[in-house]
Parts: sequence; C-alpha cells; structure tokens
Amino acid sequence: MKVAVVSQRYGQAINGGAELHARYIAEHLARHATVEVLTTCAADYVTWRNELPEGLEQVNGLPVRRFRVARERDPLAFAQLSARVFDARHSIADELAWLAAEGPTSPALVKYIRRHAHDFDFLIFFSYRYYHAYHGIRAAGRRSILVPTAERDSTIGLSIFRPIFSGVRALMYNSPEERAMIHAVAANEDVPGAVVGVGSDVPSNPQPGRFRQKHGLQGPFAVYVGRIDENKGCKELFAFFETYLRETTGRLSLVLIGNSLLPIPKHPRIRHLGFLEDADKFDAIAASELLIMPSYFESLSMVALEAWALGRPVLANGRCDVLKGQSIRSNAGLYYENEEEFVAALRALEQNRWLTGSLGRNGRQFFREHYEWSVIEGKYTDMLERLGREPDDSQTIAPLPGWLARRRRDCLAGSEIVAGLPSGPGRLVAAHRIEPRETNPEEREAAGVELPAASPPASGHQPRGRFRGRRGYHRPRSGQPGRRSSR
Amino acid sequence: MPDFNVRADSVNVEQIMEQIRARIREKRGVDYTEQQIRELAAVKLERFLDPSGVRSDLLEQFRKVQPPYSPPELPNYAFEEATLYESHRGPLRFVRRLLNPILKLFFNPNPLIQALHIQSQLNTTNAQRETERRGLDQLHFEVLHNLVIETTRMSIEIKNLKMRVESLTGRLEFNERRARALESVVAYRPSTGDRVEPVQRPAVPQAEAGAMQASPQGAATPPNAGAPEGPGQRSRRRRRRRGRRGGGSAVGLMGSGAPAQAGGAVETASPSAGGESDSGPHAEFDAPDAREPDAPSEPSDEQ
Repeated sequence: MKVAVVSQRYGQAINGGAELHARYIAEHLARHATVEVLTTCAADYVTWRNELPEGLEQVNGLPVRRFRVARERDPLAFAQLSARVFDARHSIADELAWLAAEGPTSPALVKYIRRHAHDFDFLIFFSYRYYHAYHGIRAAGRRSILVPTAERDSTIGLSIFRPIFSGVRALMYNSPEERAMIHAVAANEDVPGAVVGVGSDVPSNPQPGRFRQKHGLQGPFAVYVGRIDENKGCKELFAFFETYLRETTGRLSLVLIGNSLLPIPKHPRIRHLGFLEDADKFDAIAASELLIMPSYFESLSMVALEAWALGRPVLANGRCDVLKGQSIRSNAGLYYENEEEFVAALRALEQNRWLTGSLGRNGRQFFREHYEWSVIEGKYTDMLERLGREPDDSQTIAPLPGWLARRRRDCLAGSEIVAGLPSGPGRLVAAHRIEPRETNPEEREAAGVELPAASPPASGHQPRGRFRGRRGYHRPRSGQPGRRSSR
Repeated sequence: MPDFNVRADSVNVEQIMEQIRARIREKRGVDYTEQQIRELAAVKLERFLDPSGVRSDLLEQFRKVQPPYSPPELPNYAFEEATLYESHRGPLRFVRRLLNPILKLFFNPNPLIQALHIQSQLNTTNAQRETERRGLDQLHFEVLHNLVIETTRMSIEIKNLKMRVESLTGRLEFNERRARALESVVAYRPSTGDRVEPVQRPAVPQAEAGAMQASPQGAATPPNAGAPEGPGQRSRRRRRRRGRRGGGSAVGLMGSGAPAQAGGAVETASPSAGGESDSGPHAEFDAPDAREPDAPSEPSDEQ
C-alpha cells in the first residue's frame, strides 16, 4: 500500500502540534506501508516563507517532497479578510480569498497532487484549515483521508469546508469532541471516521532529579509546556497563579517551558526556562507535581497525553471541551472554569497525595490503552484496510457553486455558526471509563464513544443552528440548501 | 482544600470537581454566577463612610452656575387716564382732546385704559418680586443643601448603626453559646457564705497536703459535707457529674491553650482537651470559628 502524508510544513525542527502529529504518523505508518510526504518549503507558519530547499529529500528515512509557496502571507490582508468572514455575512468568494490569504499558497503542490494522486492508494491530509488541504483534497478526490485537527474557533464555521468534511473518504479525529463538532457542522455522520489522536515517544526512565539539579529547582512545582502566548490562555494562567500565590499557603511554584510571546510576571516562584529539548521536557514533567493546560482551543493536547504517560495529573482549562472531555474520560485530571476553581483544584492536587497518585495512575493507564503507538498504528491500518476493501460507491466532493452564486453574500459569519454548535465534553460509555482496578482492559479496548449530539435532549448537547443536517454550502436564503451544493 | 474529601478507592473526576465547587459555594455563602460577581465587583464603593466627614460643594457649584442677577431694563408705562392722548406736541394733544368725544362714538377706551393701568402696576410688582425671589433662592438652596448633607449623614449613620447592631447580635449569640458551653463543664464552687468550716482534722504530712492542694477536685472530703443543700445545689451537682462523665474541659472546648487555674473550680474531667464533648461531632471544627477576635480566651467571669 502506498500512502502520501500531506502537511503544510514538515521537518525534524518543526514542532507545531499538527506538523509533529503528521511526522509521527508518517514515520509510524512507514512500518506498515510505503509512505511519501508532500509538503511545502515553508518553515514559519506565520509568513510561509520558502526556507527549505525545493524537491525531494529524506527526513528520518522517509522521502519528503517539498514545493514552493507562491506568495508569503500578507498579515494585513489576512486580518481584514478574517474579520469579514468570521464576523459578518459574506460570500463563498470571500472565504476562498481568505483561504488564499491564509496560505500556504502552493499551487505547485496542488498540481502535483492532481497529476499523481492515482500513484497513491490514499493521501492523508493534515489540518483542514489550510490552503494545501482544501485544494489538495479537491485535487485528490476520493483518495483523500483527512486528519482535521479542528479546534472550536470561527474557521470551522466557514461554508467552504463542509463539502470537504462530507466528501473525503475518511476522517481521523483527535477526540470525540472534535468529531461531534464536525458532525454538527457538516452532517457527515455517514463518512467513515475514527477517534485516533496521536501517540508520543515518552522515555521509560525520565530523570527528574537531573532536571532539578540542572535548573536549580527546589520544592514542588506545576509545569506548563508550550508556546507562552495569550492565545494559549497563558495570560489568564499567570493571573490565576498569582492569586494562588497571594491567597493560599501553598508551596507550588510554576515552571514555564517554551518560547514566550508574553511578558512573564516577576515572581520568585514563577520560573521561565525557555525552549527545552524533548529529553529535558520529559524530565521536567516527571519532576513536576502536575501539568497545567490553560488553553481554550485544543484539538488534542499532546503534552497532556505525555504528562499522563509519565503518571502526572493535569489541571486543564474546563472551557476547552476537548481538554475537559479528556480529563473526564481518563479520570486523570481536574479542570477549572474560573479563578476560584483554579486555586481550589490546585490546592486539592497539592494537598492530596493520594489523589495526585490516583490521577497519575489513571493517566498512565489511559495513555497505555488509547495512545500507545501500537494502538494508534492499529487504528490507522485498520481504517486503510477497511477503505481498501470497501468499494467507493458514494458521491464525489461537491463542486464549488457557479461564478455568480459564489459572489452572493449569503454565508453566515463563522463566529455565528460556531456559537450554535453543540458544546461540552464527549463521554465514553460509562462502563468503559477508566477506573483503576475495576474495569476490564479488554472491554476498554473496544470502548465506544457516546457523543454529545447523540445524547438525549436533557443533556443539552443537541446541535443548534440552521445548518444542522445540511450538506454542502450553507445558503440560508435559498430554502433548498442542498440544491446549490450539487451544482 | 483541607476539607476536600476523597474516600472511594477509585477516582471520579466529575465528583471531585463537584465537591470543589460545592466547597467554593459554601465559602462564598451565596451561589453567584461569574457574571453577577463581575457586576458586584464593578459597583463603586460608597464614597462617604464617616457621616461627620460628609462635605458638599453643591452650593459652590450652584453659585458658579448662577450668574449674578440684574433685572432687565424694560420700559414700564405709568398708564393713566390721559396717557393715550399724550403727545409732546401741544396742538396735537389739543386736537386729540377735541376729537375724543368722536372717538368714544366708535368704541369705549375706558376698559382698555383700566386694563393697561393694572398691567403697568403688575409689571412693577413682578419686577420687585423677581428681585426678591432671586435673593430668596440663595437661601432656599442653602437650606436644601444642608438638608441633603444631613440626610446623607443620617443614612450613613443608620447604616453604621445597623452594622453595629448586627455585630452586637453576633457577639451576644456567641456569648450565649459560650455561656452554655461553660455551664455544661464548669463545676460549682460554693461561695464563702455557703461554705461550712471543715471539721478539724489531724495534721497531715506536708507532701500529702501539697498533693491535695494541687488537685482540689480530687479531695476526699467535699467542701460542704454535712451541710444542708442550698438552693440549686442539686442541679449543680448533677452538672458536675455530667462534666466528669464526658464533658471536655472548658479550656479544651474553647480551643485555648491556657491551663486551668490551680485551685479553681474548673474541672478537667477528661485528660485530653480535644476529646469528645457535649458540643456535638463538629465541636472541634466549629469552636475556633465561633470565637470572635476580641473575645476573651479564658472563661474568667464564670469562676
């Protein structure tokens, strides 16, 4: 079987969440199939500047084919178009312009996919929101498998992506919440899909003592790993942690690992260590009491999975459905939705060694059962084999509407659509929740997922919004929503 | 979260979060939503907390806004009977007077003259009144200003008094609780009037006497042995017995580290101060909270 992995950026030095995800999957799938990576020459996700050489090269033993980006991103134009499509009524042409402005605009990559798609059995596209995935999927047609890495932001509300979600051959979701959200947006329940996520190569014997010695850390601490950015909820984290320091007699310090785009508060118990190598990162997590994940938007938190793999509990932002859902499903983390809950949960974790230990054990078990590489690889290979066996008898991806219809300003604002999406964490079926010493691992292996949308109305997770149940482009004025999508 | 409880062998994150939230609600007293809390936080604090400190620049503002009044210089006619026919030209005045009877054939000018005369007088009166009113306005405003200040002071004082009443009520309740708690553990000590002189006993060795002094409640001879029972004495004895059986010491109950006074009437029925007391299962949790900062730590007035 020959598989192409298509990603916006690719390389050993590229550590973005989706890009790392793509690399891990490509490298692990290479054990079961012939894998080629198609990507751009860009290394920076903001400018998409061509920094890497065009053409074929080998990365960790895999052939990687790079294509040039035709133009760098213009931040001003992108911001203006973003405001238009996210906050106001707009047209499909506006959305396409937004996509081109976002990038990485690489017509050469799309052209290659169009010409050579039949050379591959399947093409696995990462990150639905970028130019390469949208146009690449249209070029590859029904050989496309999408790993959406979708977050609950306004982009998911854009009309152009609905035919993509409905038209690909299969979807590999990161979490039940992501699946519920995409089902609500695109009504694509009939498209084969699996909640997979990604594994991580966590060392079996991290060295917490070495880390403490190297960085001169004493006393218990909570760790944050990731980009230190307001978008990641770090500003709120600083405010909440300062309240914890002010109001309680707790002994925890906060250790920050990652590049900072924010000023770090000056406090002796808040330490910023900058970007660290993977080994140091794992040592830091192992040395910590807990990991804090303050992000509002996550499709899958790899660092939370790594903390669980190392037996550390997680304190997550409960306003992020995915993180909250992961915490509940794993029974391995607490979550907060305001300052008081943050402080109280932090104190609970700090003071209850038994609780911390139990959560850590649950986390380790959760990781082992759902995110070990053997499990992830199995889910991918099962899906590829299933798709290879089943005849492709369904429809193709809905084409774009005509020139005039594309310019009709009748698409709802992205933020408006997102506001109507179902929210709340997805839940594992109660019998398969992670409960130490009580459940059968074999049963958990086959754990089903109860989706919020499928819950009874009392759960409050019924999808809202007028787009529910439609496929293709959303046309609120037409009254026949499916009609234009089939043009 | 010292009161946070995890008892089960398996962890349920949702239950833990529910417990944490319940604890937060308990602390807050009222289950406000985040929005309500923000609204409350946005409310400005009252500016005047000390009623005597209330000052107002209302009057100055009024004086600034009001320019000094100068009555308008409008002509006012002294309208008399002949005013209509007046002229500074003599012949014209004569002709008008001559033709006056003919004019009166067409209409009667007398009511007109009368009305204008009255109007003239009214104008004069109004001008005078306006000037007087402007002067009075200043006075009215000053009175109003003083009233506003006094009302504000009074409302602040009422609030202060209300708070004081609430505080006193709390103290009173606390004292009542304290008195009840002390009553249940404090032994009866007869007053000097009730005390009967002990029977003359043979001299005891000094060491033995010292030991007896150190533990008066353990003395073999009751202080009022042989005396008739005084009023309420039976119930006091009953209380004392109850105290011996299960009641913790007052010191222990109140959470104070001060030792019982030697030779005093306080009985330490149980050797452990934190032992079970009559105050219920939450006694050791409630007692420190119930104490007010300025409350005495030793139950001195009962002894």
